[in-house]
Amino acid sequence: MQREEKQLDSALEAIIMRVNDLKTAIAAMIFKLEHEYETLNWPNFLDNFALISGHLTSLSKILGNDKAPIMRNLAVLPLLLSPEKDEDLMRLTECRISTFAHDLVPDYLRTKPEPQAEQKMMQLEVKANNLSYDTAHDCNKQVTQYNKVLSHVWDIANKAREEWEGEAGSRATQAQTSSAADTHVLVAAVGVGKGLKSDSVQMVQSGVSPVPSGMMVGRSGGQPQAAGQGPLGNAQMGQMGKTPSAIKTNIKAASQIHPYGR
Amino acid sequence: MFTVRTRIKIPPRAINAHRRPIIYIKHRTMAAPISTAMDSLSAALKSNIIPNQEYLLQGSVLDSAVEVLLHRLRGLCDNVDSGPETFHDHEMCFSIRRGPPPEQPLLLRVRRALDYQDMPWQLRYIGQPELGDKSRPTIVRSSIDIATSNSVVEFLTELGCRLDFEYIVRGYMFRKGRMKVTVSKIFKMGQGKLPESVEPISQSYLVELSVLAPSGQDAIAEDMRIFAEQLRPLVQLEKIDYKRLVH
Repeated sequence: MQREEKQLDSALEAIIMRVNDLKTAIAAMIFKLEHEYETLNWPNFLDNFALISGHLTSLSKILGNDKAPIMRNLAVLPLLLSPEKDEDLMRLTECRISTFAHDLVPDYLRTKPEPQAEQKMMQLEVKANNLSYDTAHDCNKQVTQYNKVLSHVWDIANKAREEWEGEAGSRATQAQTSSAADTHVLVAAVGVGKGLKSDSVQMVQSGVSPVPSGMMVGRSGGQPQAAGQGPLGNAQMGQMGKTPSAIKTNIKAASQIHPYGR
Repeated sequence: MFTVRTRIKIPPRAINAHRRPIIYIKHRTMAAPISTAMDSLSAALKSNIIPNQEYLLQGSVLDSAVEVLLHRLRGLCDNVDSGPETFHDHEMCFSIRRGPPPEQPLLLRVRRALDYQDMPWQLRYIGQPELGDKSRPTIVRSSIDIATSNSVVEFLTELGCRLDFEYIVRGYMFRKGRMKVTVSKIFKMGQGKLPESVEPISQSYLVELSVLAPSGQDAIAEDMRIFAEQLRPLVQLEKIDYKRLVH
């Protein structure tokens, strides 16, 4: 007899611990809902649910354990009811229950759902049992139809994705839009006048030579040449590649030598 | 070097109060209590309110892709409704020796708008570009510019400056906050100064992203890096050391 009581005590202790865990988890979730509802995201919220369900499983495991006493065989017998305030009870229940009086005790010690809830459950169960084959068939029809629609949408989405990926792939293989050689030519020209200086033949030639290589890069992409011209480039394109340019600048060079000769 | 001349106006009432001839103070060292323009200029320099630093990124785009770039810039930049601003300038770079050959000559740039002939000309000094380390997203160089009359070329020639090189630049200008984006074609000056005889020096447009700011405002460089990122892979805007390209 004593052994059984000890077992019961330890089992109760374990159950209380689990229930407390469950309670803190629920409290944490309520706290989150109330204070972080602006920043709370769905995965975070689901994590909380997972925690609670974990506690619930462990609780039901303890209850279902072979060694655990069968709780339903035990009865809770209220020995003393009083309308007075009970400080110990308040402390135990975190100020939730202040009196252990006759009008509240039936509610607290209840082991079944509330009569209203029970009634509703009954109604739903009856309704579920009465579901005829016809309505079930109807449901099936709807399900197949829904599946059909879904597969159609799936197809459309897949098609769009294929197109998109194809486009992205072709874009990756598209011709480059800028050339580092051209950048260097332009920056050097604007910065220190490389290729623009008129007083040195060598400078002019070294400045002009990178241009054809830039043209090669520009046309390697297989784009039609006509499309490969900017709005401003049109007029000047015709003059590209004409060699006399260097000579022209040379003539200018002679005429522009500064009188001071610095 | 430029000298700044100022005329200090003294109200007539003040002259009467003194009842003696005014002695104009010639030496700046003696004129400590009177604030000259030079003083206020150096004070402004000290308190870092003069935008004399240019943060710069450079790149280029092939002629075939310039339309795409202009379209993208139209979407990214501020002056959307008015469309891109075009410009057509002539830039002349003058140099003057400061000492015997090892010393680098001083470069001064004169720029005039060919499409708006009555606009003032611009005289600009650009310092040596500082590339900095990898943590710096942009080139930083000092830059001072001033509006001038069209006689500035004669003035510079009289000073002993020599025309080093010149070119025609034509393109589009966009704004995004404090940032300026130019997409421009560089043309070599042709013979006879006829606008038709110019020829482009490459098959690409020069793309420049720049901000003029007082020194120490390095935060803007980060904004520029982010903006340049948005133009990739169309244009690779980078820090380009053109000093190294010359050799």
